[in-house]
Amino acid sequence: MLNDIQLNSILEDFDIAYWKINLLNKEVSWSEHFNTLVGKPELSESNFDYFLKEILHSDYRYDFRIYFEKLTEENEAFSIEVKLKLSNGKYRWFECRNLINKDNNRKTAVLLFVNIHQSKRDQYTIEENFFYYHETAQMTNTGGWYIDIVNRNIYWDNVTKKIIDCPLDYQPPYEEHFKFYAPQEHATVMSAFEKCEKYGIPFKLELKMRNLYHKDFWICATGKPVYNEEQKIIGIRGVFQDINKQKINELNLQNSLDIIATQNSRLFNFAHIVSHSLRSHSSNLCLIAELLKEAKTDTDKVELIPNVTDISENLDSAINQLNEIVNKQTLLRKERRIISFEKALSGVMASTSSLINRENAKIVAEFHNLKEISYIPEYLESILLNLITNAIKYKHPGRKPVIFIQTYMKNETPFLEISDNGLGIDLDRYGDKMFGMYKTFHENLDSRGIGLFITKNQVETLGGSISVTSTIDVGTTFKIKF
Amino acid sequence: MGQKVELACIIDDDKIYVNLVKKIIEIKKLSNNLLIFKNGKEALDHFKLILENANEEILPDIIFLDINMPIMDGWEFLNEFIKIKNIFDKKITLYVVSSSIDPRDLERAKSFNLVTDYLIKPIELKKFEKIFHRNGHAAA
Repeated sequence: MLNDIQLNSILEDFDIAYWKINLLNKEVSWSEHFNTLVGKPELSESNFDYFLKEILHSDYRYDFRIYFEKLTEENEAFSIEVKLKLSNGKYRWFECRNLINKDNNRKTAVLLFVNIHQSKRDQYTIEENFFYYHETAQMTNTGGWYIDIVNRNIYWDNVTKKIIDCPLDYQPPYEEHFKFYAPQEHATVMSAFEKCEKYGIPFKLELKMRNLYHKDFWICATGKPVYNEEQKIIGIRGVFQDINKQKINELNLQNSLDIIATQNSRLFNFAHIVSHSLRSHSSNLCLIAELLKEAKTDTDKVELIPNVTDISENLDSAINQLNEIVNKQTLLRKERRIISFEKALSGVMASTSSLINRENAKIVAEFHNLKEISYIPEYLESILLNLITNAIKYKHPGRKPVIFIQTYMKNETPFLEISDNGLGIDLDRYGDKMFGMYKTFHENLDSRGIGLFITKNQVETLGGSISVTSTIDVGTTFKIKF
Repeated sequence: MGQKVELACIIDDDKIYVNLVKKIIEIKKLSNNLLIFKNGKEALDHFKLILENANEEILPDIIFLDINMPIMDGWEFLNEFIKIKNIFDKKITLYVVSSSIDPRDLERAKSFNLVTDYLIKPIELKKFEKIFHRNGHAAA
C-alpha cells in the first residue's frame, strides 16, 4: 500500500488537493497542496471560515455551505463545481466532491478538489462554438452531411433534412442518394463525388437538388475528403446551403437585365432607323428647295412640283410605318392568355381572305401535336399574319403558293413552323439581315421591309427566338421557338 | 471652267433623289453622261460586263453609292467592287452617300480605302459642283 507521502505526491501530480474533515468537531485541515494553491489563512481564523470568505467565489457560498452541512450531518454525497481564488489572485474552476466512505468511518470525511479549469474552458468554447454554428446554420439555411464510404452510410443533420424537406427520422439511402439531385446535375455531381472519393479533391458547386416530392431547388454544396490515420479516404463531408431564393432572384435579375439590354439596343437601333427613314425624305425636300431657287423659268419650277407631291406622300407613309411599329411594341403591356392556334389562324385567314383567294393560296395546318399556347393573342395573330402574307408575297411565279403550318413540343418547349414553296432566299448572303428593318431582298413593289423586323421583335419580347432555313426556288421555313 | 466630268454614276434606290440629282447635273452641266442603277447588284453586273469586254472607256469617273438598297446594299457592293476595281486602269472616285447619320455607318465607310468620302444627304448644290469640278478632266 502507498503511504501518505506517496499518496500525497500522486495527488499533487494530478493537481488534486483535499480536505480532511473531523466529523466530531467539524474541524477542517488542508492538504499541503491545497495550502500552496490558495495560501494560508491568518492564525486567528479557522480554515473553513477563511475558505468561505476569501477563497470560494461568492456565487457558490450558499450551495457549498448546504452541501457541507449535509455531508457532515447526514453523510450525503458532496459534488459541486466551484470557482476558487488562487494565491495569485485568479479564479479557477474546481470540482469538489467527497471521497466515498467505504468502511463506515464516521469520524473523518475527505473532500477532494480537482482542477477542472481546462476542461471547463474547453466545454465553454465548445458550447460557444456550438451556439454560433447553430445560429449560423439556422440563419443561412446551411446543413451538414457526411458520407461514410467504409460502412456505406449517409448522415444528414437536421438542417439538411429541413432543406431537403424530409422527416427528421428519415434515413437517406446510400445507393440512391443521387436521386436527390435534379437529373441534369447527375453527371456533375457524380464526377465531383468520385474525384473527392478517389483523389481527395474538394468541391464547391451550385446545383439543383430534388426533394422527395420532386420539387427542384438551388443549393450550394461543398464537400471535402475525410482521412483515417493511414491517410486513406474513408468519407466525404460537407455542407448544403439552401440558396434557392437568392438563386431565383439572381436568375430573375439576370433575365430582367437581359431584357432591358435587348430593349435598349432595340431602342437605339430604332432611333437610328427613325432618323434615317425620315431624313431621306427631308433631305429630298431640301434638294427640291434648292433646285426651286436655282430654277430660272416658270416651266422649270412647275416641272419640280410633282416631286414635292411624291416626297410628301413618301414622308407620310414612312411616318405611318413607324407609328405601326410603335403601336405593335406597346402591345407589350397586354397579358398572356391561353389561345388555340386554330382560332388564331382562322382569324388571320379571314382578314387575308382576299389575298389568299386572289393568289389561290393553299394553307395546310397541323395543330394536333400542340393545340394551344399561353401567349399574347395579338402577337400570335400578327406573327401568323406576317409570315403568311410574306409566303404569299414571295411566291414562286411558276406555282400556286402552298403554306404548311405545324406546331409541336420539343424538349418541353413549344414550336411553330411555317413552310412555303415560294421563291426562297439566299441565306448565305442575306441570312444576318433577314430580320433587319427596311431590308428587302426582292424587287417587289409592296415589300416594305418591316414585317419580319416586327415578327422577330414580338417573338423575342416574349422570350422566344425565330430562325429561318431556305433554298432558292424551293421554299422557306420559319421556325419559332416560343 | 473647262473641267467637266465625262461620266458620273449614281447607285441609289430612291427615285426622287435620283431624279433631283439628275436635274442638278443637267442644270449645272456637271457631267456629260450619267449612269443610274437602282441597287448594288445592277451596278456590279454592269461593271463586270465592262471588264469582260475590256471596254474601259465607258467606266465612270465618279460613283455616288447609297447604303440602304434592296437586293444588294452599298456595303455588299463595296466588298465586291474591291475585287474588280484594281483590274481597271482608270481612276474611279467613289463617294458613299446616305441619309444615315449613324456614326457607325460613317466609321464603316471610312474603313474602306476606296471610299473617298462619306456624304450625308442632302448634299448642297455648291458641294455637288465642287465635287464634280475636283474630279473633272481638262476638257478635251
